[in-house]
Amino acid sequence: MSEIQLENLSYFHGKDTPYQIQALKNIHLTIPGGKITGLIGHTGSGKSTLVQMLNGLLRPDEGRVLLNGEDIWEKPKNIRSVRFRVGLVMQYPEYQLFEETVAKDIAFGPKNMGLGEEEIRDRVAEAARFAGLESELLEKSPFDLSGGQKRRAAIAGIIAMRPEILVLDEPAAGLDPRGRESIFENIVQYHRESNSTVVIVSHSMEDMARYCDHLVVMNEGEVLMQGDPNTVFSCADRLEEIGLDIPQITKTMLLLKSRGVETEGSIYTVEQALDAMLKLLKN
Amino acid sequence: MKSIALGQYYPAQSILHRTDPRMKIILTVLYIVCSFLSKNILSFGLLLLSSLLLVAAGRIPLKIVLRGLRPVLIVLAFTAILNIFWTKGDHLLFGWQFVQIYAEGLYAAVFMMIRITTLIIGTSMLLTYTTTPIALTDALEDLLSPLKKLHVPVHEFAMMMTIALRFIPLLVEETDKIMTAQKARGVDFSTGSLMDRAKALIPVLIPLFVSAFNRAGDLATAMECRCYHGGEGRTRMHVLKLRGADFIPFILVVALGGALVALNLAGIGYTMK
Repeated sequence: MSEIQLENLSYFHGKDTPYQIQALKNIHLTIPGGKITGLIGHTGSGKSTLVQMLNGLLRPDEGRVLLNGEDIWEKPKNIRSVRFRVGLVMQYPEYQLFEETVAKDIAFGPKNMGLGEEEIRDRVAEAARFAGLESELLEKSPFDLSGGQKRRAAIAGIIAMRPEILVLDEPAAGLDPRGRESIFENIVQYHRESNSTVVIVSHSMEDMARYCDHLVVMNEGEVLMQGDPNTVFSCADRLEEIGLDIPQITKTMLLLKSRGVETEGSIYTVEQALDAMLKLLKN
Repeated sequence: MKSIALGQYYPAQSILHRTDPRMKIILTVLYIVCSFLSKNILSFGLLLLSSLLLVAAGRIPLKIVLRGLRPVLIVLAFTAILNIFWTKGDHLLFGWQFVQIYAEGLYAAVFMMIRITTLIIGTSMLLTYTTTPIALTDALEDLLSPLKKLHVPVHEFAMMMTIALRFIPLLVEETDKIMTAQKARGVDFSTGSLMDRAKALIPVLIPLFVSAFNRAGDLATAMECRCYHGGEGRTRMHVLKLRGADFIPFILVVALGGALVALNLAGIGYTMK
């Protein structure tokens, strides 16, 4: 199980120009192997910049990115191989589709890796299944798919590279609630079956609370908090301070607490709330 | 990719920035004529001085204007060399076998360099640095409007130019995004043979074209929803109005032309034919 460590990482947009902005400030971070890590933050908090550091699309101005303990910029010429090991699904990835058929588009990454045809065919079928794409769609033109199907095809294109770490930048942005849920469910299932490390970027606290094992909260280019959801949501007031929404159910439980209804621990999913309430009623 | 300078508009508060864009287009044409009127050392001196005055009037740092000249340095050097070696005259300065340099050649080289430099400074000061691209298209539409009588779709051309200008930054951003996405799938844009690199662009160009067409379609729908139907009877938010002050630079440039012609008659030093 692969993990990534960021050490002392800093990055400037427009370095050495009058418009220089520091996008990432001295970031120390470990993305634990074999878990789903959620990266939360406001627009402009640096999360999209950070994910482009993970697979070497951007090169840090200061600090190091360690993939299983090795600096990915040790040999800059080999950075392409890092991009196959850390698969990044960009925001609104459906705009990257270009091949004649969905299958060919999913095969694009594996083909760049120089794999054999048979291997590629296996991977395409597997990736399509993981991404929840029906097999009859594979021979269609990607431009004939619906928005949600295009999104899935683009995600499959990254999964087909069998990355050790899968990074998804806002995978559910712009989808309806049912689409959101089913995409996340596919990701969780992929995570379970392939046993790989997954990083999800989002600003939706509800989704993050439900699906992630580990959370990293970013604010203005810095890491504000990291830890399991329990720890992070127990600091609900700090999250609200920086303008992030905490899950509705957590808000409700906090309100109950302020009126004298004590529940154990921090609660961030409806199921947890149900358990806690039942326990209270029994006593 | 993002650092591409769009036009060269340099925001500042100056007389040139305030002048009516239509007047500036006319002035640019006149100024180009002026730079060709100069014939001897006096008139070229005045021409150079006038271009420096333009820079001062536009309140643009000289450093930026000179940086704008960098791309034409090769042209300048080339013209100078051609003139030095190929102009024949009466005063031989240096002769060795077939290489003959005349005093007239040196003069001609310097004059040509001044002419090209002032041409570029003049047009950039009067137009590109001090006029926004949108003001420029509006002015062009207005100046070309007499062609409407000949059924030339002037308004439509101007609208197309405006939209094209508006879309350039969007397309640049989009290209950037798509290139990053394909890099994440292992495309290598910077190494390999020329053929490989051209092939690597296909995964960028196809999505870019698709989204450009989609955007164009959306824009057309949005325009129709707001009842756009071409230039007929359309009023403007910013109406161009010539003020009295706009004629001052006009008079100055015409006076400059007159002065240049007068100075040419002085007959000092070498006079260009």
